[in-house]
Amino acid sequence: MNPTPADRIGLTLRVLGWITLVLLPVWAWTVINSPIDSVQGIMQKILYVHPPLAYGAYLGFVATAIAGALFLFKGREVHDQLAIAGAEVGTLFCTLMLITGPIWARGAWGPGNWWVWDARLTLTLLLWFVYLAYSLLRSFTEGDERAARFASVYGILGVVLIPLNYWIIDLVGGAMHPDNLQFEENDSSLGEGMGLPFLVGNLTLFFVFAYLLVLRWRVGVLRVEADAPSNAGEGELQHG
Amino acid sequence: MNVALALLWKDLATEWRSRDRVVAMTVFSFLVVVVFQFAWPRMEPEEIARLAPGVLWVTYVFAAVIGLGRTFATELENDAMTALALAPGTRGWIFLGKAAATWVLISLVQAMTAVVFALFMRVDLLTGLAGTASIVGLANVAICSIGTLLSAMSVRSRFREVLLPVLLIPTLIPVLAAAVHSTTATMGGEALTLTLLQPLIVIGGIYSILCFLLFDFVLDE
Repeated sequence: MNPTPADRIGLTLRVLGWITLVLLPVWAWTVINSPIDSVQGIMQKILYVHPPLAYGAYLGFVATAIAGALFLFKGREVHDQLAIAGAEVGTLFCTLMLITGPIWARGAWGPGNWWVWDARLTLTLLLWFVYLAYSLLRSFTEGDERAARFASVYGILGVVLIPLNYWIIDLVGGAMHPDNLQFEENDSSLGEGMGLPFLVGNLTLFFVFAYLLVLRWRVGVLRVEADAPSNAGEGELQHG
Repeated sequence: MNVALALLWKDLATEWRSRDRVVAMTVFSFLVVVVFQFAWPRMEPEEIARLAPGVLWVTYVFAAVIGLGRTFATELENDAMTALALAPGTRGWIFLGKAAATWVLISLVQAMTAVVFALFMRVDLLTGLAGTASIVGLANVAICSIGTLLSAMSVRSRFREVLLPVLLIPTLIPVLAAAVHSTTATMGGEALTLTLLQPLIVIGGIYSILCFLLFDFVLDE
């Protein structure tokens, strides 16, 4: 019996799962053993969580757009399911970023600084709104094939918005991060002993994102295969 | 190209007979201008002048959302959307015709709103008028492009009145930011330079080309 798309995705999922499982305790260990920042104290440790979440937030959108474009040109359900997975996991990472960001800002910049209209913060917030709009478009559009097609179009528009928004917000003079968090030229602002946990944090959250993305993708593909058992052959998940 | 011109003419002729969209957008714009008067404390003329470009553009964007919501609504009657989808040639031309008609209507409403805005807000819009008008015209290219594409999608969805603003407004943020930035400069007496127009040219260009290509996927046969 030929392996179904869900079987093939399942193999990738297992590999990603094992890598994530190994990285998570390493990440925790490096964070616990990293030095306490002399200015921000324990609050600074959020550095090992907050910036790495950005990978998921942006990669989710890129996955949604690429999968959406593939769906528009090939019409294969498996690509649409990847687009859904990208949007959902991306929303999760984006939400976590928007929660951890203000907590860090309040701790680092003092009371009343939960939010500043900085270019990166504004961009993330806008990205979050686009993710929500994408999900609403899917739920409000009647017909699976039409919903998938419309969502694919919106996903492509969304990914174009990322550089466009960044450029415009920067151009019209959005406030920048306060000085204590800016990177110096030719030098990292990370103190001694902070580089490793930051690197491991980036790597771990990247794999967490990839694992969740593939997991959600597989669930979607399995659902489609269960709904249309006769179409569950190799690469035959087609709309219509 | 003929399809685009035919649709442009059809939409403008239909609007000329009914005047539905223009009247609705104009009344709504006037209301927004009036509402702003009650939304802020008593201010000096200089402070009002500082806020004016932002208020003007928020009014324009909200009015555009109202107008764009009706772009394809009339096509739903007698299933004209299907007829449009079955029309020979590239569907991008249908998009272009629809977007061009909306551009004309929105620009007309914006011109009328500007007069009321200048009167009520006591803002001097005559300073740098040509520059401001160019900025408005360019921003409208971006607004109408993305608005027409999203309107064709939302009109086929449930809660279309709510869905269009939710889809459209996040995509209009770069247009709004660039337009307010440039309008502040021209209303402040600065000469119109390519630097001021550049963001709107880039956004308008990207949105127009992308929507022209993607429109093929939003019409159902």
